[in-house]
Amino acid sequence: MNPISELVSKKEVIVCAGAGGVGKTTTAAAIALQAAIDGKKAAVLTIDPARRLASSLGLKELSSEPTRVSPRKFAAADIEVKGELHALMLDTKSTFDKVVTNYAPSPEQAQRIINNRFYRNISGTLSGTQEYMAMEKLYELHADGGFDVLVIDTPPTRNALDFLDAPKRMTDFFESRVLRWFLMPYMKAGGGLMRVANVAAMTFLKVVKRIVGTEVLEDTAEFFGNLEGMYEGFKQRARDVASLLQSDATSFVVVTSPSEDSVSEATFFASRLNESGLPFGALVVNRVHPKIGDGIEVKSRQLTKLEAGGKDARMLAKLLDNESAFMRVVHLEERNLDALARKIPRHRWVRVPYLEREAVDFPGLLAIAEQLFAGSGPSAR
Amino acid sequence: MQMERFLEPRVLIVSGKGGVGKTTVAAALALVAARQGRTVCLAEVDRKGSLPRLFDAPGLDYSPKEMSPGVWGMNIVPEDALGEYLEVQYHMKRISKAFTSTHFVDYITTAAPGLKDILVLGKIWYLEQGRTSSAGAPYFDTIVVDAPAAGHMLTFLSAPMGLSDALRVGPVRRQSDWLLDMLRDPQRTRVHLVTLAEEMPVSETLETSAALHDRVGISSGAVFANAVYSKLFTPAEAKSLESLDRDPMVTALVTEAKGVGLDLDPGDIDALVGYARFLEARRSIQNVHLKKLDKGTEEPVVELPFLFSAGLALPDIETLADRIEAEIEQL
Repeated sequence: MNPISELVSKKEVIVCAGAGGVGKTTTAAAIALQAAIDGKKAAVLTIDPARRLASSLGLKELSSEPTRVSPRKFAAADIEVKGELHALMLDTKSTFDKVVTNYAPSPEQAQRIINNRFYRNISGTLSGTQEYMAMEKLYELHADGGFDVLVIDTPPTRNALDFLDAPKRMTDFFESRVLRWFLMPYMKAGGGLMRVANVAAMTFLKVVKRIVGTEVLEDTAEFFGNLEGMYEGFKQRARDVASLLQSDATSFVVVTSPSEDSVSEATFFASRLNESGLPFGALVVNRVHPKIGDGIEVKSRQLTKLEAGGKDARMLAKLLDNESAFMRVVHLEERNLDALARKIPRHRWVRVPYLEREAVDFPGLLAIAEQLFAGSGPSAR
Repeated sequence: MQMERFLEPRVLIVSGKGGVGKTTVAAALALVAARQGRTVCLAEVDRKGSLPRLFDAPGLDYSPKEMSPGVWGMNIVPEDALGEYLEVQYHMKRISKAFTSTHFVDYITTAAPGLKDILVLGKIWYLEQGRTSSAGAPYFDTIVVDAPAAGHMLTFLSAPMGLSDALRVGPVRRQSDWLLDMLRDPQRTRVHLVTLAEEMPVSETLETSAALHDRVGISSGAVFANAVYSKLFTPAEAKSLESLDRDPMVTALVTEAKGVGLDLDPGDIDALVGYARFLEARRSIQNVHLKKLDKGTEEPVVELPFLFSAGLALPDIETLADRIEAEIEQL
């Protein structure tokens, strides 16, 4: 059975992961579309504020709440959909607000945190926040139980693994002792502790204060003061998210292109999944150049002769030249993919060749889905 | 445009969406400058990227190392930049070491977003001013920056504006103004954007280019459209592809091949025709986006070829550098 169809029939959560620019978002959308066609109530959660995804689904824009793709749109594109397709985009800020509201001991304290300037900056700048919130939103959607299958694409992080570590990094960040030590002079309750902070810290803080201003430090201290008592909740939630990801309900789809960089990232990623006890489901190899024929052997003197010939001869020279250029790419890609096959067995692969159209509308997306759900196994090329 | 003019701004910032070949283009630009006899600093920003591998050099750090003749590589790490800043500005060498080794910078930069960017830009400015605290590093005629991916790039380049708005007076305000002056002066800085001839990268590039201009006051330089398939066939030849796999064309091709001692079987014909059509199909998708790019920006669009070797090593970068040189002369 095709590994992707297998996942869609059995799993509730499908996480698409891989390096940037390999087609994660499109893959996620195509998987969700096919699931809907097959009768599932499917949702695709995207991280990328990709307007293209919205428009390829016939939606004006994506919001942080699931929007259903209208059955009329499917009908207009002549696609029979037995289930439902919903799409939503991650809104890091509102997801974070919800987390804070959930764990704050009182609504007032939640509000104080949400109004804090340091907090307001977190979602935009602190690395790992987006990843953390993506997992959080996924958990929430799954817990609500409104969908048969959730397909999510992971953030375009430099390192595809970041989101695995994100929850832990975030909780570590909040709990840092170093930070407390530095902020002591600014923590209201800790006025008396100022003397304890050593001279070096004070000198340094003076400089920082000159650069960023006292307010910034006060905001920071206030934020961490307010967060007091909420750590256990955060950590518990992080553990819940981790166990959902590790459970039988979830599967990871690693997306790659045949380029050397993304292949090595995919390999590394698959082994990290393994180490972390996360279920690897399938590998999607995107953007593969098609292999046509076995390569034509032509000598350069033959080419030279043809180039000097008549119209047909010159055309033939160009055709041969073009064929050998593509064959070089095909061989290179095969070499990269052979290396990949030593780490991930080919029966877990699905290849999606470069198509002659882009996935900018339903038919384009369907063409990708067709490849994802059909062209599997070692003989696909 | 002559090379002189292209290389007049000493700071060349190269940016683009992930996966478009930004690093490759930055490296090719560095080679172009080095071929003109300039000493080049090729800097990646706070990441362990593929730059060293392109040059078959060891990993990069904060002190520039020569990777190939005239091209020095470095990694601008904000923490190191903070250390250098504190040391130069406040003579806090020992203390700064202690603080930069902890995660303190993470916290402070969260509290004051953009500070990291300021630190990186500050280092670029410092290099532009011809100063360096790294032993053995030369004066750099050209500084090529492999900048953060496009989405982040706006925040990156607009950071000094935020700081200048926030601070009315003081040394930091003055320094932040210096950075803005450098970025906004087209004779000192140029931002070159890299894209693929595809839907998403092109629209993002156009948005970034407009936003850079409108929001930060930076005019971008060239837009590099990377990995463009060649225009191998003339329009007439492209048209003839439709009937290429039928007689009389097949017979004609087989006969021509035989004439030079080459035997083509039907499978070979399929391959020749298949790849020719593939090239044309991909190229016509790319054409749509190239047109959109051309229409959407006033900046020159430089097409870079799809590299059929794609193993990406120094020879490929040399090839791209050749092309860039040729294109620049024609601008």
